[in-house]
Amino acid sequence: MQKQRKTTKVTRRDFLAAASAATLSALAARYPKKAVAAEPEEKIEPRADRLIVLWMAGGMAHTETFDPKRYTPFEVGLSPDKVLSTFPAIPTAVDNIQISEGLESIAQVMDRATLIRTYMAADLGFILHSRHQYHWHTGYVPPQTVAAPHIGAVIARTLGPLNPDVPAFIDIGQRFNVGEGEELKAFHTAGFLGSEYGPFFISDPSDAAGCVNPPAGMTPLRFESRQDFFRRLVAHSPIMQFGSDYQRESLLRSLENSYRLLTSPAKKAFDLSSEPKEIYDAYNTSRFGLGCLLARRLCEVGARFIEVTTEYEPFKHWDTHENGHTRTADLKKMVDRPIAMLVKELEERGLLDRTLIVIASEFSRDMITEGKPDKPVKDQVEVPAVMTELKHYGMHRHFTGAGSVVLFGGGVNKGFLYGKTSDERPCSTVENPIGIEDLHATLYYALGISPKTAYIVEDRPFYVTKDGQGKPRMELFA
Amino acid sequence: MHIRLRSLRGFRCHRGRILRLSVCVFVVASVGFAVYEIHAQNSLPDPVSRNVSYLNDIHPILAERCYKCHAGGKRKGGFQLDTRSHLLDGSENGPVVKPGNSAESRLVHVVAGLDPETVMPPEGERLTTEQIALLRAWIDQGLPWDGVEEQAEPKRTPLALRSVSPPDEPASYPNPVDRFIFAYFAEHNLPRPERVSDGVFLRRVYLDLCGLLPSPEQTQSFLADTDPHKRDKIVETLLADSRAYAEHWISFWNDLLRNDFEGTGYIDGGRKHITEWLFQALYENMPYDAFVRELIAPTSEKSEGFIRGIVWRGDSAVVQQPPMQAAQNVAQVFLGINLKCASCHDSFIDHWRLRDAFGLANCFSDKNLEMVRCDTPQGKMAPIKFLWEELGTIDPAAPHPQRAQRVAELTTSPANGYFARTIVNRLWARLMGWGLIEPLDKIENESWHPELLDWLAQDFIEHGYDVKHTLRRIVMSETYQLPAVLEAPNPKHYVFRGPLPKRLTAEQFYDAISCMTGVWQKNPKFEIPDGVPTDDRVGVRAWRISADALTRALGRPNREQVTARREEQPTTLQALELQNGTLLHEFLREGAKNLLATVPQDAQAVIETIFQRGIQRSPLPEELTLARELLGTTPTEENLTDFLWIIAMHPEFQYVY
Repeated sequence: MQKQRKTTKVTRRDFLAAASAATLSALAARYPKKAVAAEPEEKIEPRADRLIVLWMAGGMAHTETFDPKRYTPFEVGLSPDKVLSTFPAIPTAVDNIQISEGLESIAQVMDRATLIRTYMAADLGFILHSRHQYHWHTGYVPPQTVAAPHIGAVIARTLGPLNPDVPAFIDIGQRFNVGEGEELKAFHTAGFLGSEYGPFFISDPSDAAGCVNPPAGMTPLRFESRQDFFRRLVAHSPIMQFGSDYQRESLLRSLENSYRLLTSPAKKAFDLSSEPKEIYDAYNTSRFGLGCLLARRLCEVGARFIEVTTEYEPFKHWDTHENGHTRTADLKKMVDRPIAMLVKELEERGLLDRTLIVIASEFSRDMITEGKPDKPVKDQVEVPAVMTELKHYGMHRHFTGAGSVVLFGGGVNKGFLYGKTSDERPCSTVENPIGIEDLHATLYYALGISPKTAYIVEDRPFYVTKDGQGKPRMELFA
Repeated sequence: MHIRLRSLRGFRCHRGRILRLSVCVFVVASVGFAVYEIHAQNSLPDPVSRNVSYLNDIHPILAERCYKCHAGGKRKGGFQLDTRSHLLDGSENGPVVKPGNSAESRLVHVVAGLDPETVMPPEGERLTTEQIALLRAWIDQGLPWDGVEEQAEPKRTPLALRSVSPPDEPASYPNPVDRFIFAYFAEHNLPRPERVSDGVFLRRVYLDLCGLLPSPEQTQSFLADTDPHKRDKIVETLLADSRAYAEHWISFWNDLLRNDFEGTGYIDGGRKHITEWLFQALYENMPYDAFVRELIAPTSEKSEGFIRGIVWRGDSAVVQQPPMQAAQNVAQVFLGINLKCASCHDSFIDHWRLRDAFGLANCFSDKNLEMVRCDTPQGKMAPIKFLWEELGTIDPAAPHPQRAQRVAELTTSPANGYFARTIVNRLWARLMGWGLIEPLDKIENESWHPELLDWLAQDFIEHGYDVKHTLRRIVMSETYQLPAVLEAPNPKHYVFRGPLPKRLTAEQFYDAISCMTGVWQKNPKFEIPDGVPTDDRVGVRAWRISADALTRALGRPNREQVTARREEQPTTLQALELQNGTLLHEFLREGAKNLLATVPQDAQAVIETIFQRGIQRSPLPEELTLARELLGTTPTEENLTDFLWIIAMHPEFQYVY
C-alpha cells in the first residue's frame, strides 16, 4: 500500500490536520455572508402551506379584466378619452362582482376568490417594466446595495421545502434571452440569502420532465450507473482516507441530494405526458396554460412556492403598446380556462384550502394616463386624438393608479370584494389602497411568516417587507 | 408655554445648548398638548404576553420613531438608544428604563403620554397601543437584544499603518511572512506541519496565480527538477505569464468592480463595461495606486464604467444614484469600509454617519447634494469631504472631476493605511481562504494578526504598490505551502493553521475541464488584444463568455452588487445543474469526442491521461480497476463522457487543497 500511494503525489500528510466532524453549522460558519434568521417569536398560525403566483407579465389593465368600467365599442372617429373598457362586463358567481368578458371560466370560480381592485404600484418615474417587476417580487426598488431576494426565495428560506424531493422555489415560464433579460435576472434570485434558496427554472412546462431527467440521450440506467461509479471511485480515492473534510463532505452531500431528487417518485409530477389527454388539452392554451397544469401537479407532490408567468417580453403579451383590445382578447383565452381549472382541480383534490393562489401584475394600463393621474410620467405611447384603426383601440399606456389582484384559497375570504376605484376616468383607487408592502405582508401572513421577519446581511437586518413595515390586511382573511 | 419653560429648566446647565434645543422643545410642547387631551385618561396598555424579539418587534419601532434624535451619535437630552448599553446609560435626567419593570420606566411613560410635559416622539403620530405593549413586554423581559450583535465599542484598526518589523525568530525562515506566522504558531502552541508535497503545491500555485491546471508535462518536469529553489522558480514563471495571470485575476476584479459583459443598466446606456482597460491594466501589472486612481477619477472613457455605476431607467432616490453608488463602492472596494447603512441614516452598527456618506457622494456629484435621511430631505446641504478629514480637505469650490481627483489622491494616500490593508487582505484571503481581517469589507475590525497585516501593507507600498510582489511574498512563503486545514474555521475565534481548501471558481472549473479535454469556450465576448502572446494549450477561457446557467450555479455573481467573496458552498440547485444540466453534459461530451480523436484509444492510456490532466496524479490500482470497468477495453464517447463527469465531480478536482 505504501508503495502504491507514493505514485499518487499526494501524501497523507497533506491532508493531515486536526480533523473534526463536519457539521452543517460549521459549514455555515465558514461563510460570513450567510444570513442568519432571527425567527419571530410571534407564532402566526399558517393558513396556507404553499403559494402560487400567476404572473400577468407586462401590465394587465384592470379595466379590461377584473374591474370593468363603462364599455364603449370601437368605431372609427372615437375619441380615446371616451373609452374606459373595450369589453363589456359579465356577471360572476358572486352577485356584487362583475368582471370582463373573456374571463367566463374565472367568473364561475369568483365565489372562491378575494378580489382586490386597488393595488397601487409604486411611483418609479419613467416606466421600466422590469423595475416594477423587481419591486413587486422583492419589495425593494432597484438598484439595491445588497441583492434583494425574490419572494419565492424568502419563502424557501423561511419555510423550507414541503417535500425535500421537490425544490422549494419553482419558476415556470420565463426565459431570459428577451429584452430586459438582465433586469429580469436581477430579481429572479435568492440574492443575499444564498443560491440554495434560488429558483428552479422551468422555462418550458411542456418539457418540465427534461429538467429532472438525465441529460438528453442518457438512459436512466446509465445515469444510475454513472452515479454508482462516482461513489465507488470517490470512496477509493486517497483523500477519503484522511479524516473529515467539511468541504468534501458538503460537495458529496449536495450531489446525493440532487441525485435523490432526480430519482424520487415526486419527479413524476414534472412529466405532463402522464396527464389524461382531455385534461392536458384543456390546460393547453399556451405555455402559461401548461404551467398551470404543472403547478397543480407540483402542488400535489409538495411544492412550496411556484410562480407561473405569461412571460415578460417587451411589447409582447400583456405589454400592449398597440392593438390592445385584440391582444387582450387573445390573452384572456390564454389565461382564463387554465386559471379556473387550477382553482377547481386543487379544490377537488382538497388542496385549495391550504394553497394560496395570487393573480398579479406589475401595474395596470390605461388609454390616456401614463403613471398616476396626480403623478404622470413620460408617455411611451402616442395616443391619437381620434381612433382611425382598430389597433388604436386598447389600453396602451402604463397606469399605476389602481390594479387588480385576485386571491384564491389559502384562508382568504370567498366571493369577497376589496377596494374601490372610480367609475370614471382616471378609474383610480378611491378606497382601501394597498401597496406592495401590505400585499406581501398579507401573503407572508397567510403562510405563517411574520412580515417583520429579518435576515442579517452585513450585520444589519434586511426585512422581508420594507423596514418590517408591511401590515397584513386581516379583513381579507376568512 | 408652561411646558416649554418647565422643559427648558432641565437644560439650564447646558447654556450653550439652549438655543439649539429650544426649537425642538417647542415642538414637543405644541404636540404634547394636543396629545395629552386625547390620551390623558389612558392608563398604560398591558404588555403583550408573548416573548418579544428585539429584531422583529422592537428595532422597527425604535428605528422609525426614535433614531432620528437618539442614535448614531445624536443624543438629544443626552440619550441614545442604539445599543443596549446606551439605553441603560439613560439620559441626562437619569435612567430611562428599569429592566424588568416597564411600568416604572421613563421610556414607557413618555411614549404613552403619561407625562404631559414630555411626550415622545415629539413629532408625528403617537406610538400605537400595540407598540407600547411591545415595548413594555420587552423591558419586562429584561431588554433582550437578539439578532443584532452588540459590538461593545470594538477595537478599531487605526488609520495609519503601524510601523512593524518582522520577528527575528525563527531565523531559518528568510521570508518575513513565515517569521510572523511561525512566531504566531509558537505563541499559540500550534504544531508546525511540514509543507505540502511538490504535486499538491504545483496544483495549488497554478490555480491560485493563473487559474489553470498544470499540464502533465509541466507536472512531470517540475517533479523531476532537483533544484531546491524550484518552487520559487515556478512562482516566477507563473507570475511572468502576464496573459494567464490577467485572464485569471480579471474575474476577481470583475466581481469587485461590478464589471460584466451583460447586466442591468446596459439596456439604455445606464452602465459601461471596462473590460478592455481592466485586461490591459492587469496584463501590464499596473501599480495598484495608479489603477485605483484611474478607476476613481477616470482619464479615459474606457475606465469610467466603475465610477459611473448602474442606472436603471426611471426615478430613483438619492441613495441609489451614481454619486452615492460611487461613494459606497470606493469605500467598500478600495477601503474595506461599508457605507451602505450610513447612506440612509447614521449607522447603528458602526461609527459611520450620514454626513460621511453624503460628504463622499458629494465629491462625485455635479450639483451639491441635499442630505436625505431615510428618504426624508433634511433641508440642509451635504458637506464635501473625505471619510477621514485628517487626511486632507477637498475644495468645495472645485468642479466634480477635480473633487473626484482629490478623492483618488486621498484614497491612495500612503497615510491612509486602510487602502493598502484592504488589498493585501483581499489577496491573502484569496490565497489562504480566510482574510487577515474578516469580513473583508470591514477593514476596521481587528485582525487576528495586525502586525503581519501592517507589515504586508507597508511592504506593498514600499514595492511600488505591486500586486505581483505581494502575491510573490505570500506564495513563496512556507506558510502558503502548509497543508490545507480540513476543518471549518470558527469565525468568532479564528486561529490560523494553514490555508483552507478552496473550491474551484466557476471560471476555474470550466477551464480545468478544458485543460482535461482540450475543448475550450466558444463565442467569446472579449477579444484578446493583438500582441498578447498565446499558449497552444489554452483556448478561450471561461471568463470571456457570458454567464450561463452553470457558471451562475457555480457562483459567478451577477455583478449587480460588489462581490468580495463568492459563495463557495455546494447547493442542491447547483448539484442539479451539474448532474443533469445540458451545458455541462454537452461540454463533457465534446471533450470526450476530442479526447477520442487525440489520445491513444487504449483505455489505460485514456485513464492515465485524464487523471494526470485533471487531478495531477496517476490512478491508484483500485481506481484504475474501477475506471477500466467503466470504460471497457475501448472507450466510447458515451462512457468517456461519464468518466469525465466523474472526475469533474471528484472532490480532488473541485477543490484546491
